[in-house]
Amino acid sequence: MTGRVIVITSGKGGVGKTTTNANIGTALAREGKKVVMIDTDLGLRNLDLLLGLENRIVYTIVDVVEKRCKLKQALVKDKKNPNLCLLAAAQTRDKSAVTEEQLKEICEELQKDFDFILVDCPAGIEQGFQNAVAGASEAIVVTTPEMSAVRDADRIIGLLEAKEEIKSYRLLINRVRPNLIKSNDMMSVEDVVEILSAKLIGIIPEDTGIITSTNKGEPIVNDEKSLAGRAYKNVAQRIMGNEVPYLDLEAETSVVAKFKKFLAGLVGKEKVGGKEKQ
Amino acid sequence: MDLFTDIYNKVMGFFRRTDAEETAKDAACNRLRVVLMQDRTNLNPQLLEKMRKELIELLSKYVEMDKEALELNFEQEGEQMALMLSIPVLRAKPEEEIEKALEEEEAKCEEESEEESSEEETPETDEELGDEENIQEDASEEEVESEEV
Repeated sequence: MTGRVIVITSGKGGVGKTTTNANIGTALAREGKKVVMIDTDLGLRNLDLLLGLENRIVYTIVDVVEKRCKLKQALVKDKKNPNLCLLAAAQTRDKSAVTEEQLKEICEELQKDFDFILVDCPAGIEQGFQNAVAGASEAIVVTTPEMSAVRDADRIIGLLEAKEEIKSYRLLINRVRPNLIKSNDMMSVEDVVEILSAKLIGIIPEDTGIITSTNKGEPIVNDEKSLAGRAYKNVAQRIMGNEVPYLDLEAETSVVAKFKKFLAGLVGKEKVGGKEKQ
Repeated sequence: MDLFTDIYNKVMGFFRRTDAEETAKDAACNRLRVVLMQDRTNLNPQLLEKMRKELIELLSKYVEMDKEALELNFEQEGEQMALMLSIPVLRAKPEEEIEKALEEEEAKCEEESEEESSEEETPETDEELGDEENIQEDASEEEVESEEV
């Protein structure tokens, strides 16, 4: 087996790289794929928190590189899904603790046992980015419909295009707010795609559920009712090569839909649970 | 409540959206386009200003134009990037005047090259122009309004 190594990057911080990583990874694992996530954000690790695995980490990627343990020992298994593993970043070291070459080796080794290796890239375009990209052949560029995030994504795309190893990259637009787009207060998905002239892989709506899911250490794809969760599941499908239509976010988040939800909440939750899924 | 702020915004939006003001979305798109062009070309404002000045110098030999109103912008046209130059032309110069100016310049260049003191000015400008990806001059004859970018 040779797994696909996909780096998830953005340039700007806070656009949802780690959330995207946790959710795509979990969604792929739910589809029966063997997935390992590598957190390369040395010194600022967070992927463990989003997955609720922070108390289970014994060894980190730096321990692997410095040969204090075997690679397999450092992989932390997910609580729910045995297909899903995490290779955590070291919290007490900086970006120089792991080199590009070492990350490449780790990725190559993991490719033998896993279908997908998702590399969580730190923000910025410095060495941390170079390291994270080193072992990957595909990239997902996460951005939001905000000027600063789009500008940084453009920089990242420029850097990715210059890398021979990166065969393809696609754009994931996060925190989309259909209401603001409709009122012409925010750039639309089409605007961002046109400005960056990049291929799209996903559109994720802004969802307050992300906050609660982060707090609980439970990726939102596990919440069947969540719109963002559904959108992330679709991204996982597209990564696997399946064509899935994009969700009609405007319709899903319209006042009418919210009102229905509101009413449904008054009438009784069980009754509507099934309806909401569709 | 999410729901009520939504309704409020809807109602307010209905009354607000009557004037043809630039929307926040348009502002973001336009500003981004300009800033990305600069990012992609490595042309900072100083260099752009220099390019502008040199272009004015070059073009004034052929046409009389409103130097203050000359606009220089990058635009994305599909995959390609275009350098858009918009010049309000005040008056086309008569042929004799152009030729006279050119001859004078040539003479000046010859003198300079004979002296071998400094580098020639004009070919350098030409070269720089040639290096740009695409140059489209909006204005050719009479006055041309600078189009919205």
